[in-house]
Amino acid sequence: MKWHEKMLNIDRRWIYLILGVAVIVPAVVSFHVPVNVTPEVRRVYDFIEDLKPGDIFYVGIDYDPASLAELHPMAYAILDQCFRKDIKPVVATLSQFGAGMAEQVLSEVAAEYGKESGIDYCYLGYKPYPAITIMLMGVDFRVPFPQDYYGTPIDSIPMMRYVHNFDDLKGVISLSAGTSSEFWIIYGYGRYFMPLALGVTGVMAADYYPYLQSGQIFGLISGIKGAAEYEALTEYKGEGLKSIPYQTTTHVVILAFIIVSNIGYFASRRSKK
Amino acid sequence: MTTVELLWNGLAAFLTLCIFSFLYKDNPFYKFAEQLVAGVALGYWTMLLYHTTFTDKVLIPIFQQGKLHYILPTIMGIMMWTRFSKKLAYLSRIAIAFYIGVGTGVALPLYMYNYVFRQLQATVVPLQFSWLGLNSLLMVSFVTCTLFYFFFSKEHKGTFGGLSKVGIYTLMAGFGASFGLTVMGRVALLVQRIIFLREYFIALFGS
Amino acid sequence: MGHSQKESVWGSCNLFSRKAILFSLTLLVFFNFHLKDTQAHPLSPPTELFAQDTPNDHGKSISLNWNLSPDDGKVEGGVLSYEILRSTGLQGVFEVVGSVPAGTKEFTDQDTALVNSHNYYYKSRAVAVTDSAVSEIFGPVTPSGQWFHTGKTSVFVATLLFCLIIIVAISYAKRGGKLYIRPLAGINAVDEAIGRATEMGQPILFVPGLGEAYEVATIAAFTILGRVARKTAEYQSRLIVPAYYPMVMVVSQEVVKSAYMDVGRPDIYNEKDIFFVTQEQFPYAAAVNGIMLRERPAANFYLGKFYAESLMLAETGFLAGSIQIAGTDEPIQIPFFVAACDYVLIGEELYAASAYLSRDPVQLGTLKGQDWNKLAIVILVGLGILTATLGFAWFINLFNVNI
Repeated sequence: MKWHEKMLNIDRRWIYLILGVAVIVPAVVSFHVPVNVTPEVRRVYDFIEDLKPGDIFYVGIDYDPASLAELHPMAYAILDQCFRKDIKPVVATLSQFGAGMAEQVLSEVAAEYGKESGIDYCYLGYKPYPAITIMLMGVDFRVPFPQDYYGTPIDSIPMMRYVHNFDDLKGVISLSAGTSSEFWIIYGYGRYFMPLALGVTGVMAADYYPYLQSGQIFGLISGIKGAAEYEALTEYKGEGLKSIPYQTTTHVVILAFIIVSNIGYFASRRSKK
Repeated sequence: MTTVELLWNGLAAFLTLCIFSFLYKDNPFYKFAEQLVAGVALGYWTMLLYHTTFTDKVLIPIFQQGKLHYILPTIMGIMMWTRFSKKLAYLSRIAIAFYIGVGTGVALPLYMYNYVFRQLQATVVPLQFSWLGLNSLLMVSFVTCTLFYFFFSKEHKGTFGGLSKVGIYTLMAGFGASFGLTVMGRVALLVQRIIFLREYFIALFGS
Repeated sequence: MGHSQKESVWGSCNLFSRKAILFSLTLLVFFNFHLKDTQAHPLSPPTELFAQDTPNDHGKSISLNWNLSPDDGKVEGGVLSYEILRSTGLQGVFEVVGSVPAGTKEFTDQDTALVNSHNYYYKSRAVAVTDSAVSEIFGPVTPSGQWFHTGKTSVFVATLLFCLIIIVAISYAKRGGKLYIRPLAGINAVDEAIGRATEMGQPILFVPGLGEAYEVATIAAFTILGRVARKTAEYQSRLIVPAYYPMVMVVSQEVVKSAYMDVGRPDIYNEKDIFFVTQEQFPYAAAVNGIMLRERPAANFYLGKFYAESLMLAETGFLAGSIQIAGTDEPIQIPFFVAACDYVLIGEELYAASAYLSRDPVQLGTLKGQDWNKLAIVILVGLGILTATLGFAWFINLFNVNI
């Protein structure tokens, strides 16, 4: 086997091993990587920062544990900012496996600030069929969610007394790993025109920039990098910033593999000629 | 970490390692972890659907609140199940037709507004001699070329072929960006598990 | 409205403010304090309250507006908030249905208790620390739903035109009109891949995706499967089709069987090669990967709906050295197929390939109609840029929606 063929046919187990080492390095040797904040992330931060105490803001935890790594840090940082500013979040999930996870993050952050369910925040829980649920929330939260996650009727929840639909909220952010983001744009913003921001996984990010440019969403937090940027803004010490050194080492290794295989590819093309 | 937390996290750490073992080759540990997650997910979802849909939308409205008009959608829901019977399968079509009809009716104007009107408005920007103007011009050109690529009524030859080629390169650039972001996403999954394992072992053995 | 405060029509002062007045009087008697100012200027109410049915909605909503109280904005003794009160009769009991902070001139009553076609009366009350003042009553006002949203007329017209163009194209195709569709490079690639597989004497794997049988991408996959099956019947190659849904399996069997019969080779059709695997995403991907490694197909087709398993399948096929052709309308998955496959039908190309092969008038007409619509969009973009550059905003404003 010629050298360039070797470069193209590296055993995948070597790749896993080298990648594994690259991931472990920051766990042993700690180092700092600066994070640049992009305007689309800053806009979300500024929007929440400009709200007044007592304002109501909707936070959608529309993902399941498979996307926890990328979206959970965003949820922590956003809820932390809301509670720090005395903003009252209404939280719900459109993902079937998101209900328990959303409850965990919400109650954890609320406990840190001594916030009470029903007075300082409201957790509505899960409803299937995201598009229909979003449209019904636009009519009245009481239609898809007659009671909150804990079984309290919405009419008996003090902070929801005058909150009926998106008109009574200052804005919406949905953290989503699937089609829910698109549904929020089409059936939420497209029908009720409330200020909407999205937090999406890295895989989805490229598809959502056109909506940012058209003004259908006012901000976009994408992937773990976006989460780290948000943590940098809010000064919240979470998983986002923690994972950036790991991301850096692994990306360097992946880039090295891409360069090596491309050299191999072009060299083998030349030798074939 | 309390002893109970340590035990639960220990189980999570064990299952993570079971899944990682697939990197070497398929084995009973991996199969156990995979089937466990499938089973737990199915059980959890069934329970959740029962509480959030059947109880909320069928049991309480009909039997407790006496909202009898909820019977109609319930019957439609039952009709969906007739697909499993060869004799009654035709009934499911009525429910599916209703569902698709309503869905299309609701979606069509919204799609027209969100995908066509808003994107069209965002693409239309006045020409101007500045960096921003150049940026806008490039965007309009690439959007047009991409639309030409998906134009099937004319053969891709000559100038039109050239423009559609620009369209495919635009698509490829978009795919490249998507691919790069995916790598970041996949690495994030791995990193999150590594951080979890690191913190678990630190809690177990001390730093 | 379990939590609304109730108040009779005559009384604008609540218990708290009545106590405040008593307290003020006491001070006046004992200290002859300069309270005259406060008495001379009691809190002024909001004026010119106006209420109407919210336009362009499904009903059960009333929009209100008013002029601010002259005491709004005062630092001391100024208005803190406005409460909105509603009653079903002029002499009836008024209930608080909403509250907005000082400086706000409008409110939309969307209370679930509102009933369409019923009359309602409203008052707006300015509330200060120790005082409150109520506006005149406005009413009756009746909520009602509208059948047509006048603010969305442009969307209605565009949707109608869009559908009309497609209907015209379909009916033209149905009447036997000739509609030209350019040849697609992907179709030639399909034939080439089957030829190569036959030369190598290895089977062909066709994966119809994770979509239900009624989804457009899956229907397109069935048409291409028909083409592939005709070729495999001609060349006497083995065709393997693992299905994700039982219904997809049944349709695939029918498609392949009729293709083999068309070619006159029903004898070599093997129903067992078109089978149901499982309806679980990753176990399905694992099973198909297993087939690739065991059966070593020379050509793999991935056509239809695909999700996260796309990369797993395409990568295994690539490592096994098969020729791979993919096509999906899931934009997120296309980059993975592009990275690991020899040819990819991108998005709409999948439908185009299906229309080209089947010559089905509905598919052909739809594709043609969409082409015309795309052309219309390119022209509109051009006109939009021209008018915007010349400084005319009216053209682009045609696409606005007023809610």
